[in-house]
Order: sequence, then C-alpha cells, then structure tokens
Amino acid sequence: MKKAPRILMIGVILVLALGLLAGCGGQSPASDSEQKQEDKMKVGFVYVGPVGDAGWTWAHDQGRQYLEKQLPWVVTSYIENVPEGPDAERVLTQLAEEGHKVIFATSFGYMDYVIKVAEKYPDVVFMHCSGYKTAPNAGTYFGAMEEPRYLSGMVAGKMTKSNILGYVAAHPIPEVIRGINAFTLGARSVNPDVKVKVVWTNTWYDPAAEKQAALSLLDAGADVIAQHQDTPGPQQAAQERGKYAIGYNCDMRQFAPSASLTAPIWNWGPYYVQTVEAVKNGTWQPEQYYGTMKDGIVDLAPFNDVVPQEVRDLVEQKKQEIIEGTFYVFQGPIKDQKGQIRVPEGGKMSHEEVLGVDWFVEGVEGDIPK
Amino acid sequence: MSAPLVEMRGIRKVFPGVVANDNVNLTVRAGEIHALLGENGAGKSTLMSILTGLYRPDAGEIYIEGRKVNFRSPRDAIEAGIGMVHQHFRLVSPFTVTENVALGLKGGLRLNLNRLAVEIAEVSRKYGLQVDPQARIWQLSVGEQQRVEIIKLLYRKARVLILDEPTAVLTPQEARDLYSTLKKMAAEGCAVIFITHKLQEVMEAADSITILRGGKTVATVKKEETDEKELARMMVGRDVIWQGEKPKRSPGDTVLQIKGLRALNDKGLPALKGIELSVASGEILGIAGVAGNGQRELVEVIAGLRPCLEGTVTVGGENLGQCDPCRVIQCGVGFVPEDRLGMGLVPNLGAVDNLLLKEYRDPRWGRVLMDRRAARRWAYELVERFQVKMAGLDAPVKLMSGGNLQRLLLAREISGHPRLLLAVYPSRGLDVGATETVHRLLLEQRAAGTAILLISEDLEELFRLADRIAVMYEGEIMGVVPTEEADLEDIGLMMAGAKKMEVSA
Amino acid sequence: MTWIGWEKRLQPSPWMAVVVPVLSVVLALGLGAIFLAATGFDPWKVYLSMLKGATGSKYGISETVVKAIPLMIASLGVSVAFRMLLWNIGAEGQFYMGAFGATWVALTFPHWPAYVMLPAMFIVGCVLGGLWAVVAAIPRARWGVNEVITTLMLNYVAILWVDYLVYGPWKDPQGYNFPLTAPFTEAATLATIPGTRVHLGLLFALTAAVLLTLILWRTRWGYEIRVIGESVKAARYAGMNIERNIILVMFLSGALAGLAGMSEVSGVTHRLQHGISPGYGYTAIIIAWLAKLHPATVILVSFLFAGLIVGGYSVQTMGVPAATVSMLQGAILFFVLGGEILTRYRLHFGRKEVAR
Repeated sequence: MKKAPRILMIGVILVLALGLLAGCGGQSPASDSEQKQEDKMKVGFVYVGPVGDAGWTWAHDQGRQYLEKQLPWVVTSYIENVPEGPDAERVLTQLAEEGHKVIFATSFGYMDYVIKVAEKYPDVVFMHCSGYKTAPNAGTYFGAMEEPRYLSGMVAGKMTKSNILGYVAAHPIPEVIRGINAFTLGARSVNPDVKVKVVWTNTWYDPAAEKQAALSLLDAGADVIAQHQDTPGPQQAAQERGKYAIGYNCDMRQFAPSASLTAPIWNWGPYYVQTVEAVKNGTWQPEQYYGTMKDGIVDLAPFNDVVPQEVRDLVEQKKQEIIEGTFYVFQGPIKDQKGQIRVPEGGKMSHEEVLGVDWFVEGVEGDIPK
Repeated sequence: MSAPLVEMRGIRKVFPGVVANDNVNLTVRAGEIHALLGENGAGKSTLMSILTGLYRPDAGEIYIEGRKVNFRSPRDAIEAGIGMVHQHFRLVSPFTVTENVALGLKGGLRLNLNRLAVEIAEVSRKYGLQVDPQARIWQLSVGEQQRVEIIKLLYRKARVLILDEPTAVLTPQEARDLYSTLKKMAAEGCAVIFITHKLQEVMEAADSITILRGGKTVATVKKEETDEKELARMMVGRDVIWQGEKPKRSPGDTVLQIKGLRALNDKGLPALKGIELSVASGEILGIAGVAGNGQRELVEVIAGLRPCLEGTVTVGGENLGQCDPCRVIQCGVGFVPEDRLGMGLVPNLGAVDNLLLKEYRDPRWGRVLMDRRAARRWAYELVERFQVKMAGLDAPVKLMSGGNLQRLLLAREISGHPRLLLAVYPSRGLDVGATETVHRLLLEQRAAGTAILLISEDLEELFRLADRIAVMYEGEIMGVVPTEEADLEDIGLMMAGAKKMEVSA
Repeated sequence: MTWIGWEKRLQPSPWMAVVVPVLSVVLALGLGAIFLAATGFDPWKVYLSMLKGATGSKYGISETVVKAIPLMIASLGVSVAFRMLLWNIGAEGQFYMGAFGATWVALTFPHWPAYVMLPAMFIVGCVLGGLWAVVAAIPRARWGVNEVITTLMLNYVAILWVDYLVYGPWKDPQGYNFPLTAPFTEAATLATIPGTRVHLGLLFALTAAVLLTLILWRTRWGYEIRVIGESVKAARYAGMNIERNIILVMFLSGALAGLAGMSEVSGVTHRLQHGISPGYGYTAIIIAWLAKLHPATVILVSFLFAGLIVGGYSVQTMGVPAATVSMLQGAILFFVLGGEILTRYRLHFGRKEVAR
C-alpha cells in the first residue's frame, strides 16, 4: 500500500502539465483564417479505417476533399479509425458539440449510435452510409454497387481460364452478399461454367488477413480474385502469383499494375456536395438515398491494358443498358445455390428484397453463417 | 625440467566481506591429473574462476608454460588453451552434439557441419568418449552430456581441462569411464584439474593433490606419498576442537524417529538410501558431512517438502505422512532452512509478514479480517526479544544483514515452541557475533527440552553443540557417535565414505 | 574500454520518485511537440484540445469514465493474478466469455425483471470469465503448463466463439444479417447516471478495488497470495497449498475480466456484437503493470488511459491523423515506463577496471 503515490503523482503531473499547456495555448490570439472559418459551415466525417487505406475510407475522403473544393463556404473535419462500437457515440457527440452542421457516418456499425446522437442534436443533420434507420434529422445514403459489380463479374468471367473466381468478402451482411450475387450473375452471364468461391475475413480493414484470404483462394485454383475489402491486399496477392484481380472502392491499379483488371468504384463527391447544398438551402429531407450508376455515385474503373477490346465492348454495352434502364441486375430467372428458382423468368427482386438479401445465387461456393 | 603448464602464484581474491582466496599457489604440469581438494567454501571454485578468466585476482600472478598471462575475459583464457566443464552444463538441449560443438567457434559464417561431425567422431574415438554426433542433447544421459562438454574443449585444443565435481552426477560405471578418459588426455600431454571433495575419487584418479582450506593452500602432495586419513585431516583442519561449556543433560523421550527412509533428489537419483535416526527431547543430534550427500533431502523429507519413497518419519509418535508441510508444522516441527532468504523468509515482504509465515492461520488474528495491529504488536515484541535490528517492521527483509535475518528466522521458529527444530547450516556466512547468538539460542532450546537436528559442515560447531554426531555420506549414515567419544580423524574419514566399523577396525 | 551497464538499485531514492515521473511526462510531451510541430500542428493547441476532450466538459469526463470502467475491472483482475506471478494474458478472452454469459441470460430469459435479471447476468458473467481462466489454471497447477501461452490461445477461442454466436445463432433477426444480437430488454441494462453513459459498472469497479485491497492485505487468503507471489519456495515451506491458490486466484482474475465484459454489454452496448472489446484485456495488462498491481493505483491509471483514448479522438478534428495520436499515446507510455525503470536501476558509464 506504500507504493501507491508514485503513479498517482504521474497522473497529477500529467494533468497539471496539460493544464499548464492549456493555459499557455489559451493566451495565443486566434489567427485571421480561424475567424473566417467560423462563418463557414462545418461538415464532419466519421471513418472506420484510416484515410490512407486506399479503399473505402480513402474513397469517402476523396468525396470530402471534393466537397471542400466545390463549396468554398464549407469547412470539413474528419475522425478516422473509429471502431463500430461505443466509441462511435462519443465521436459523433463530439462532432455535434463542436458545431458541425452535417455529419456523415460512413460505416454500417455506426447506425444505432447515429440515431441515438441525432435525437440529442435535432439541429444537426446526420447522414449514415449503408444503414436502414432514419430519424427526422438523420438519413441514409448508399449506392447500387451491384451494377458495376455485375460488370466487373463479366470481365472476370471472360478473363478466367480455370473458371474458378475467388471472392474475399468482409462480413456476411446484405451489402456484401448483394455484391457477391451481382458479381456471380455478371460472370455467369458471359461464362456459365464459372464458380465463385467465397472466403469471409470478418473484417473490413486488415491488409494482412485480406491478402492471406486471397492467397488461400489462389491456392484453391482461383485465377481472378474479387474483393469486398478496403485495402489492395487481395490484388497484391494476385499480382504476386501472376493472376488477375478485381478491385473495389477506387481504381487500385497502381498497387497491382498487371493484376488489377478494373474495379467497381465509389464516387461520393457529387452526392456530398448535393446533400450539403440541400441542408444549406433548407430543402434537405431525411431520405434513404440509393444512388445508381446513372447518378454517377458508382462506376467502373478504367480497364487494364490486358482486357481485350471485345470484352470492353461487351461490358460497355451492358453499362449503357443499365444506365438506360433496359437492364436490371437482379432480374429473373435467378436460382439460388440449391438450384431453386428464387426470381422467376420475367420477375425482378424488389428494392427491399435486394437490401435484405441473405442467400447466394447459383454458382457461388461458400456459406452464409446463419 | 620444463616450466609447468599452469602456475598460479600468491593468488588473492576478496569479495565484500569474505576473503575467498588468500595467497594460494597451484602448480600443474603437463601430463598430470591434479585434484583440487577442499570443503565447500574452501575457495576451489573461486580459484578456478580466476584461472578461466571469469574473475580477476586482486593480487598474484598466473603463468602458462612459464609465460605470464593476464586474462581480461574468459575468451582470453580459452585462447590460452584453458577450458572448464562446469557442474551445470552449458549445452543447448534442442541442438545436436555437432551443433553444440560448433557454437562459439571462430571462423566466420561458413560452417561445414558434416566435416565437423567427422572430426568430432575422430576426437571421441581417440579419447574413448562415446557419443553420437547427430544426437540431440536432450536425448543424452547426464554422463553423455558431460562427454560432449569435454569434446567441446578438446575440439578447441584446450590443453588445460578443469572439471568441477565431475563425478557428482555420474554413476560409478560412468565415473570409471571418465577416469580412463582423463588418463588418456593426460597421456596426450594435457593437464587435468578436477575439483572435488571426495577422497576416494582423489586416490583413484589423481596424480597430485592440492588441498585448500579457508581460502588458503594447505599443501600440495603426490598421491603415492599420502593416504586418505592424512588428506581428511588436512581438509577439515588440524585445529584443536573447542569443547565444553555445554551443560550435561540426560536426554528425554524420543521425539524424532526416522526408519528406513529413502528418497530421490531433484535429478531423480536416490539421495537417501535407508536412513535410520532418532533425536530425543533436549538433545542436539549433529549431522556432519560434505554438502550434497543427502542432508538437504533429509530435512526436506522431514519438513514435508519432498516425498519419500519408503520409510517413516514420526514426531512424538505421530506419523508426519507424505509431503504435507502444513501437518508437519502442526506437529510442532520448527525448521531453519539452509536458504534463509529464499525459503525461510520472503525477501520483499516486511518483518511482520515474515513473522506471520507460520502463525497466520491462527484464529487469534480474527475470523475474516486479520487484525494487523495485533500482529504488528506481536511482531514488535518478538523483534525486541530476539534483538533483531532493522530499518522498520515494514521494510523488506532483504535489506537486513545475514545475522539479523537468521535472528528473525529463529525468532519465528522458536516462538512457535517446537518439539523438534531442524537447523540447517544455521551459522553459515555469519560473523562471529551472530554465530555466537545462533549457538546460544540453540543451546537454550536444548535446555528447554526441544529435540534439535543440526546439520553443519563446520565440525567445530558440531563438536561444540551436538550431543551426538552422525555422519552422512552419499545418502547413508556412516555412523553415529557421542560427541565426547568422537575423534576428528574418524569423522573426517566417515565424511569421505568410510564406515564406522572400518574406522574402528 | 568504456562500457555501459545496468545495476539494480536496492531502494529507489525518494527524490527520484518525484523527479522521474515529472521528467518522463515532460519529455514525452516535448518529443510529441517536436513531432507535431514538424508535421505542421501547433502542439499547444493539440495538447489543450486533448485535455479538453478528455476532461474539459461534463460530457468529456463522463465519457472518460465510461471508457475507464472496463479497463479498471479487467485490470484489477489482471493485477491479482500477476501478484501471484500468474501471467494471465487472457483477460481479453475472459472479458468475451463474461459478455457471452451475461448475454445468454439476457437473451434466454427476456421476461425476467431487473432485480432477477441483473444479478443473474452478474453471476453468470463472472463465473464464465472465471472458469475460462481456470481452463488455463488447471494445467498450470497440475503440470506447470505455461499459462502465458494457454491464456493467450484461449483469447482467440473466446473471440471466435462470440463471433460464431453473433454471426450465427444469436444474430438479431431484425439486424439484416449484421453481427449483432438483438438489443437487451430494459431490465437487462445497467442503470446510468442521467444524461451520461456512466453506468453501474463504475460502482462494480470501485467496490472490486476496495474488496481486493481488503482481501490482499487483511485476509489469510490475501496473505497467501502475496507470499506465493514473492516466493513459492517460502510458501511451500509455510505449508500453503500452491495448486489450490493458483486455481482460485485465476478464477478471481477471470471473474473480474468477465465482470468487465458483463458490465460493457449490459451498461454500454446493450447487446453482444462482433469486436465488443477493442483490446481492453490487453490494455488492462499495461495498466496493471504501470499501477504496480495495486488496486487503488489501477483505478487511477485506468482513468489516465481512458483520458488518453478519449482525448486522442478529440484532437482528430484539428486534422491530426489517428496515427499521430497513437504515436503521442505511445510516447507518453514509453517515457513513463522508461522512467519507472530508471528509478529502479542505475545506469553506469565507466571504464573497465584494469587488473594490476
């Protein structure tokens, strides 16, 4: 019991030292730029990964930078590496407390916390990416990633020689399942013999685990690796083995120059601009935004040089059909893994069905943990 | 005559508070097996540590083949051709024999293990050191591991080999093999020095013998010119044994009774081979013997810290059972262990907690929560009564001097009013005053009717305190003699392995 | 030949106990300031914002407390095991098992009223956490199997077990296949201080600290723990049952970590989910170590850590990247730990003695 005071001392000293610094800091006059910034509208972003992940968070941060460039009266800040747990509630509260008028929460796991914090700050607009709960001052936004995924599946289906495609998937949630289904449908539309093997990593962001998962798929005979992950890890694995890969989130060809064929990508910038302008104009509504390729929020990255012109033409044509609305990714007939018809010829999956999908289409090899 | 291979002149080494070596001389010639004989603490190991460059002498000179050398590190000694096989082997057990020999070899990064294996096989054939170069160390017996250590030295072209109690871990057969290897090495022109305290071994293997006692050289003799009796006398000392002032007492009822006791040591070898002993109330039974002959195992079995294979130990007629220290304490056995600050006392705790070590179960401290204040008062009284000096009741006891530690330990053990008190090397490392206190306390206990089992290496101490002296050698009692009838030379011989009957014959 | 070496101090000098921590913190902040300035931030403002984020408002303080609760309880558990030199690295897994046990009660008996529900969750959480530690304690006690390895491995088992549940059988049917259980009923949630997220777990932590202090210094069991921790040989000599104590202490240690898990699901998340602990069990080890295994100090150090974490998020809106914040936290830890070593060891510079 005698030794307790030492650490106590450290604690006291730390607090004192910080307090001292605080005192000094308080005396320095606020700079001009700061004063100007106070007139600007503050917009906050909460990221699940680091901005340097070259994937999901990076794509959102591109959107944030675009927003700041397009709207000179906006100033943005972000908090990265926020776990999808109780920490999120504090971070959201902090942003609201600091006077951010619009807060974008960019991961599914923030959903309940967004709703909770939104209740406490009715004057702040919360936008939650990929969720499904709304409030008078909280909306959701997402995009029809299945459209470019379908197209990337076509590329993979054409480029494979082993007819085995690998898919490194994060969590078995509808968003990911939807992507796997779209990819598989796309691949089988051009190559009916194709099988898609799925490996779950249970993480959005883990470069090592993602790469390891990709290697296991390559070992299982896959020669094109697709991913629903936030780092270029899986593509780097393909690059090392001299195989192909399909990226995600943004054009990742610089990380795997010869392996990366193309990637379904996000383009959040225009939507962020549109939302913030709506808030400023008072026209914002708590909607559940689901943007499509036509809206430009999702797209396909440029092709690698190895993709033959014939394939490019085929994909380009399908892309036009999607944009024109003559083709819908989840239109019948669609069979599930057991060969049962889930969507009859001529039928379509409803938007709700698409959002809540919990089964794999025919051609996918893998289980959804139930 | 050429210069001796090794010559150490006037070596002196002082450690804080202890003169380990004082004007020691040692001369070893090529082709000779030289035994370094002495009791524990006589300064043998220190002398060899100086020769191998581990310590530096405070005074004195070392000559190798007549050239004066100055070892600044063990590496210097190795380069001068001196190698040592320690009691605890320095081998990497998951590695093979070859890899172990390769460890620490010079010659850059290139290593040809196959060629090395062939060379090892050659060396081992030449000296009769049978061992498979590809075997992993953990697969080898202790004797084989020792051979690997010797091969390591031979491979490094060591000309002076030092072995620290080499036969302590060997079976008699292995020991004989070792002797013949040593003789071959001597014949090749090496010098072999082995540290020992076993007289038989000296007579069997050595050519000449240097005896150390109390850090000083007693003599260097040729084997042909001496016998075990003389060696024993030189080893334990010729000093007149001080006797007397011990009040006569007629012993009371038997308290400790040991019958046919067998037990193993930590290595799993037999350490006690059928011990029969008894100690009566008000009697001190002294156990003499060179350390490592089963004394530690004997007290550990009595204290319930070591399982016995066979035999019984009873205290006041109660069987102590198997390995139950709690029961032993309840039977009224006090124990002053050899390892004061590791076993007897807890170094980082204060005096109060240390005094409570055997009393803490007592209900007088309260039912759920212990009354620390009462415990403190009690501790304070004990500390006063036994005149233990310390910085404070809560200061870690490791800061106390050896004498005060022993007082604290005795205070605790005696305050429990034991029927039997085990005292192991109770005055080892203590100064004259502290030794005096320990002796006084033991005699007080004897007067109070406690049965005392006193283990000591110090014959003077035994003659002074004990009513009877038993001698232990290799796990057996060589004989028990009443102190008044005991003869120093007989005791010395028994310590070296001679039975009582043979002595008297 | 010059050389540098360490020498253990017998007793740390009293003035060092004051000067060294001050110096450590100043050095850490100084180093951080250089780094911040080099990357274009005003160090004063960053530090100010960190302090304000953690302690500058009622909300900040309450959040620091919320963050500190699981750290405190788990770290108390770790410290009691460490005191007996049982290196329980498994607080993370025991935390998960405690959360699992509490959730099992909450989901299986949703109709129980709070006065039955909460004690049941408390007990089941503690017992499961404790048993999880005992799984490693038994081989350690019987055959001396290194508990560092076993407890560490059991962490993965526990985490994957919870993952299996939240991805599988316990998945919220309304949760769109996300790895979450259904939310607990009102009866299964711990009361909070109105307007904050500070929950009853704080009381658990403080009570546990008081009880642990009493156990260690005022009971026979605590005495045995302290003796065994200092010297197994002496404990055996005194007739203490080492094996039984290993198992009991590991159970207590695991039960506390389990309680941390229970209080986190019942007090904060109100459901079990993937990644319920962002490494509380591991941070608890550092805290226990820094606090020298002392219950009262554990509480304080936990607040310090919670403040570092909470304050760390708050400086990000100034544009300081998360990585820089982690570096700052690391620097402070590094210097405080380094300072600790300096008070216990003396650094030597000198020349080798030359033999005469």
